[in-house]
Amino acid sequence: MLMESSHLALKTTTLCAMEPRKTGKISHLETKNPGILQKLVSMGILPGMPVTLLRRSPSYLFEVDQTRYAVDREIANHIYVSY
Amino acid sequence: MKLPVICPEGECCCGNKGCAPGKGLPKVVLIGNPNVGKSSLFNALSGSYTLVSNYPGTSVEISRGKTRIREREYEVIDTPGMYSLLPVSEEERVSQLLVFEEEPLVYLHVLDARNLRRMLSFTLQLLEAGLPLILVLNMMDEAEERGIEIDIPELSRILGIPVIGTVSSEGKGVEDLKTAISEYNSEYYALSIKKFQKLDYGIETEPYIEAVESLLGHAKETGISKRAISLLLLQEDRTALEYLPGAEKSPEYGRAGNGKNYEEILKLIEEASKLSAVPLSYFFTLKRQESVNGIVEQVMEIPERMERENRVRAAVTLTGKGSWKKGHSACTGQEKVKPEKETKHAGPGKKKRTQQRNIDFSEKIDNILIHPVLGIPVLFLVLYFGLYQFVGVFAAGTVVDLLENTVFGEYINPLVTSLFESFVPYPALQDLFVGEYGIFTQAVTYAIALILPIVGAFFLVFSIIEDTGYLPRLSLLLDSMFKKIGLSGRAVIPMVLGFGCSTMATMVTRTLETKRERLIANVLLALAIPCSAQLGIILSILSGNPKALPIWAGVIVLEFILIGYLASRILPGEAPTFILEMPPLRRPKLSNILVKTYSRMHWYFLEVLPLFVVASILIWIGRLTGIFDLALKVMEYPTVWIGLPPNAADVFLFGFFRRDFGAAGLYGMYDSGLLTGLQLVVAAVTLTLFMPCIAQFMMTVKERGLKTALVISGFIFPFAFLTGFIVNTLLTALGVSL
Repeated sequence: MLMESSHLALKTTTLCAMEPRKTGKISHLETKNPGILQKLVSMGILPGMPVTLLRRSPSYLFEVDQTRYAVDREIANHIYVSY
Repeated sequence: MKLPVICPEGECCCGNKGCAPGKGLPKVVLIGNPNVGKSSLFNALSGSYTLVSNYPGTSVEISRGKTRIREREYEVIDTPGMYSLLPVSEEERVSQLLVFEEEPLVYLHVLDARNLRRMLSFTLQLLEAGLPLILVLNMMDEAEERGIEIDIPELSRILGIPVIGTVSSEGKGVEDLKTAISEYNSEYYALSIKKFQKLDYGIETEPYIEAVESLLGHAKETGISKRAISLLLLQEDRTALEYLPGAEKSPEYGRAGNGKNYEEILKLIEEASKLSAVPLSYFFTLKRQESVNGIVEQVMEIPERMERENRVRAAVTLTGKGSWKKGHSACTGQEKVKPEKETKHAGPGKKKRTQQRNIDFSEKIDNILIHPVLGIPVLFLVLYFGLYQFVGVFAAGTVVDLLENTVFGEYINPLVTSLFESFVPYPALQDLFVGEYGIFTQAVTYAIALILPIVGAFFLVFSIIEDTGYLPRLSLLLDSMFKKIGLSGRAVIPMVLGFGCSTMATMVTRTLETKRERLIANVLLALAIPCSAQLGIILSILSGNPKALPIWAGVIVLEFILIGYLASRILPGEAPTFILEMPPLRRPKLSNILVKTYSRMHWYFLEVLPLFVVASILIWIGRLTGIFDLALKVMEYPTVWIGLPPNAADVFLFGFFRRDFGAAGLYGMYDSGLLTGLQLVVAAVTLTLFMPCIAQFMMTVKERGLKTALVISGFIFPFAFLTGFIVNTLLTALGVSL
């Protein structure tokens, strides 16, 4: 029962709509700009990785696995997380 | 980028044509993600020094040094950081080209142990490319601090290559690494790493990879495997495409066979990319990560404590005890995150507890540095104490005053002058060496008594700031402001570096992603960013007057914003995006700070002194032939136009040589009390905006091309005087007394 309800609560949003200090997983990346996509994946921002949003202002600061990244809203909008 | 060969001692053929290729020293190339400690390891291995800092993109060039291990010499090569074999920015391309061209004895793939899961993907890519490899897990101490455990022997067994753990900043593990290098046997390892040379990318794409690979038959030889090239081609990598026969313009490659292959490959690339739902680079990386995850699960343990902490955080959120607003989904970027109270944990041991406390402490400082409100006063405090008090008032004021006026002015220069004049009775020669613009009395005095203390003080402060990791935080803090002038937060780093030396900073603009951003950054560096010597002198000259400094700073900042804004409006291209890795805050190491400051001062001095001497000689010749006076007469027009006395013309004439030389000239005039407060401000403003120095001009030519460099300079020269004129007119009209 508990499992089910927590499963139902799982929601997918963009990183910038994510609630801060909560840990989730990157579900997918969505961008039409191949340069941005390539940059993100080469830096290790990949689907399936655990992600925590730490800060939204002055820029977005989040942690993927063991590394922190700062990005602007434009980029944060391309990263989808589920938690 | 084929590097020239360095020969072993005793058998050097020193550039002789008969020098057989491959006769050079065996090469050891450091490669890996940015900010993992490659340069630090390079220094530990080679005994030479290349700059080490705590932000990604410190190295934008290749550094070379030598090392001796067990009576055998090796060449050690440090490369700019790269995330994968497929480069995104220019400095990554520098490294990629090296991998294409060189055939070293072994590559050292350096990674940050804590981030094994993220960085191992690049290791697999390097193995796929068939490169001889040793894996170096650096910063083992930081991983340990976080309780991360890595089974190094097991990792080595799985990968089939040597794996060494190091702490490069403390020299730990460097001996093991040297042993591994000297024992490296490429044939032995070539056999054992076969399994990673053919990672399976799935039945949909494999046929394309193989088809492209088979068409590469006649391709130019590169250092990396054909399969890796084929993969890069499918990801439409520029460098790999350039290596294709048929892409070359030379007639040799125009033969039908190769040309046909080229066309066919292009067709395959297009087909493959159409077939795939996602870009192939994305697809390949995901596939590689699957293999990585499989490996990491076997060898790496991230402590439960962290996971527990995360769970606690999640639980707090779920029960609604968190302090943030609920239910926001809009992406306005305006909401502030209220820092959650740190959850206390009873660590199992005392050591762990101290480590946790250290991490918590640096976390608290970090939160202040990047706080949208608190971060700004912190920045001003850093500027006030670091720049104004230490560099401007102390170094450029007290120290320079002592050196220039007392040590050189009262003791050394009169002594040298009288000695010289008694031994050399020719007035012309006396003029050259000890005259008003003499080599000794001007060039050497300026360089040692004026420039050196200022840049030394600046580089000292700067090194501390660099090593803590403050610069990336500043990037984060200022990103949204920089966006208004067409730059991303990333550009903060070259801009701040520009205060040290714009020449260096111009080179660092390579780390910016788009051409547009690089161009805007180059213009602003050439125009509005004063270099350390210039800045120190101006701060010191204007510090006596409470109104002058804010006026000067205000004009320069306005100028910076205005030109940046206009450039971002005029130049075509997309708006920049911001993404930056945030390294942890680190406690600066005194030894690195001192060595770095010394190395920069050394470099600066060697760069500045010859040019000052040349300037003295040119002025001397100019004065003998009358050209100097003629040039002065010409410069007098704009000088008088902006309200300065005619004899201030030589300050600007000096400024053509170097910014700091012009500033030094201004200091001379100020010292002799020749200028009023108003004139000092106008001169300081004009000189700050004035021409970039010769070295920076050359660097802009190298990075952006001659035409762009000329256009930038052609714009700046009249613009600087126009601004000087406006400032003078406004201040006079408003009756501001300074």
